[in-house]
Amino acid sequence: MERNHLPRHLVLQRQSLFDQGLLDEQFIQLEELQDDANPNFVEEVVTSYYQNTSTLIVIIEQALGTSPLDFNKLDGYMYQLKGSSSSFGAKKVKADCTLFREYCKAGNVEGCMRTFQQLKKEYASLKRKLEAYFQLARQARVTGTASRPK
Amino acid sequence: MWKNLSLLHLYKLIYSHLHCYQHQAFEDFGASIFSEGMAPGIESSEGNNKMSKGYQYPSWKKKLTGLVVDNEELCRMVEKGIMGLCGVETQAVETGEAAVELIASGATFDIIVIDRFLPSMTGPETARKMREMGVESKIIGLFALYFEGDEEEFVAAGVDDFKEKPLSPNWLVPMLRELDN
Repeated sequence: MERNHLPRHLVLQRQSLFDQGLLDEQFIQLEELQDDANPNFVEEVVTSYYQNTSTLIVIIEQALGTSPLDFNKLDGYMYQLKGSSSSFGAKKVKADCTLFREYCKAGNVEGCMRTFQQLKKEYASLKRKLEAYFQLARQARVTGTASRPK
Repeated sequence: MWKNLSLLHLYKLIYSHLHCYQHQAFEDFGASIFSEGMAPGIESSEGNNKMSKGYQYPSWKKKLTGLVVDNEELCRMVEKGIMGLCGVETQAVETGEAAVELIASGATFDIIVIDRFLPSMTGPETARKMREMGVESKIIGLFALYFEGDEEEFVAAGVDDFKEKPLSPNWLVPMLRELDN
């Protein structure tokens, strides 16, 4: 289903992901690569992202529980997470990775802890919102219509 | 030609040549896109033309080939996917050593993207080794976080460009157009 034929509430939901700063241009460019024969490229990327990075998030949390903090190791973990997050345009998560990294460079333990808690929230929030968006988009493609809000 | 070629078949061909890891998430991803069955084979002699609802890529005059060198699984998957969807027959490897081995075996590529952080041979070391082997491909250094001296190191190793991730279609297509000409 062409994006310009998406039901209105789905268009608005999608737009809100950008308006809230959750996604950036990379997401749009990846969507543009999709076609009718392969409509799920972006969803598959996002699914793989959350499968692959869930362990990394746990590892980072464990590393933040050690004392003293190994900032070099944390830097390396954040390199991975930022690279993956940027691959599909996860703008806020990417920004939190950059901020976390600045605190690592400064040796600021509290800054790292605080930023990581923020990052986890953004990471989880984006997952919920994208799952909801993709589910509605799939339904709209299957039915060709949408359940419009009353 | 490309209108009749599903992404499914393209991935089948690409993945069959990969030096690749085995990871459940990757297999799940592969399984999801391999579920549709086979499509007609690629006719590579006439170049590649990708029409999508948003982009219309130029018809490449020659068969463009690419190599992704990235230890991060998702980055490798997405970079390879993007290059493939832009009409580049792409392989992906996890390490500099694997990339060098591939080239030593005779593989040639029009474009090579290399991540800064690889497990033993670094990105710049991999690029330098490739140039020493006589590789004349376009080599792009990629990084997720910038470290002081990274750009200088990559440039000294002989890369053509140095770019912060992500690899984006808008950035890639003009470069492919240059390579095709």
